[in-house]
Amino acid sequence: MSNESGFTRHGKNSFVATFGKSERDVLINLSEQLIEILAERIDGQATDPLEAMVGFTGQDSPPDDEVLLRLLPNAYADPVDSSEFRRYTESVLREKKRIHALAIRSHLLNSEKHEVALDQESAQAWLGAMNDIRLALGVRLGVDSASHEQLELLAPDDPMRGVYAVFTWLGWLQGTLVDALMNDVEG
Amino acid sequence: MSIQGDTKEKIDDLSSPLFFVDRPWITIVWDDPVNLMSYVTYVFMSVFEYTKERAEELMLKVHNEGKAVVSSGRREEMERDVQRLHEFGLWATLQRDDQ
Repeated sequence: MSNESGFTRHGKNSFVATFGKSERDVLINLSEQLIEILAERIDGQATDPLEAMVGFTGQDSPPDDEVLLRLLPNAYADPVDSSEFRRYTESVLREKKRIHALAIRSHLLNSEKHEVALDQESAQAWLGAMNDIRLALGVRLGVDSASHEQLELLAPDDPMRGVYAVFTWLGWLQGTLVDALMNDVEG
Repeated sequence: MSIQGDTKEKIDDLSSPLFFVDRPWITIVWDDPVNLMSYVTYVFMSVFEYTKERAEELMLKVHNEGKAVVSSGRREEMERDVQRLHEFGLWATLQRDDQ
């Protein structure tokens, strides 16, 4: 890992970071996993062809998978209202998130010397996708119930130890991009 | 007929958050152990165009009290807000304001 400063702002509309090879590979891999889990759900009911034609997937039950449920949460406490909302919005949300993850992937694949330079708009896509990846990792790590102290004490041979290291690194990286953007918002 | 400058200002006034009577739906953001505090602040600033102070105040309320009402208005508007917040990965719901 060789990225020591994370994202820094260059001028009005450029946010630059250089990645080490392993960082780049990990990020590409995680983005691809995110793209994959955001692909249209195959659980639940079949799509009504008429609704599919006008862009609704007709998907109105909450996802079974815990990670997906965190990425595509219920909008209402009431299950009926929640289903109705999901039916008309879930595929749009899913597609937005997929586009965010694709942005990370394509920037990194097309980067020269592992350096990416983002404008305001791609920076927001990156933020969204980095956050989604962290949410997904957070569910897998059980960040809800386990404290960070507990996670830091994972045994060296625990496979979750590496996941936690990536989770922490990504949080740091996301933080540097937020700070860089925030200066922009204020300025 | 178009809305004249003066009238437009009055209409904008009426939709200010002071008039809760006319704004019976609220958007709530719930605390989440994963989302960075600075990120949540940033999201409030870019989704709602709140000042940094206002956004930070709301973020801290979410963090310390477990949730905060971040916007209020017509149901369709709140659904739009929730959708935007979900795009950013915040855990948001909407409901009728029962106070």
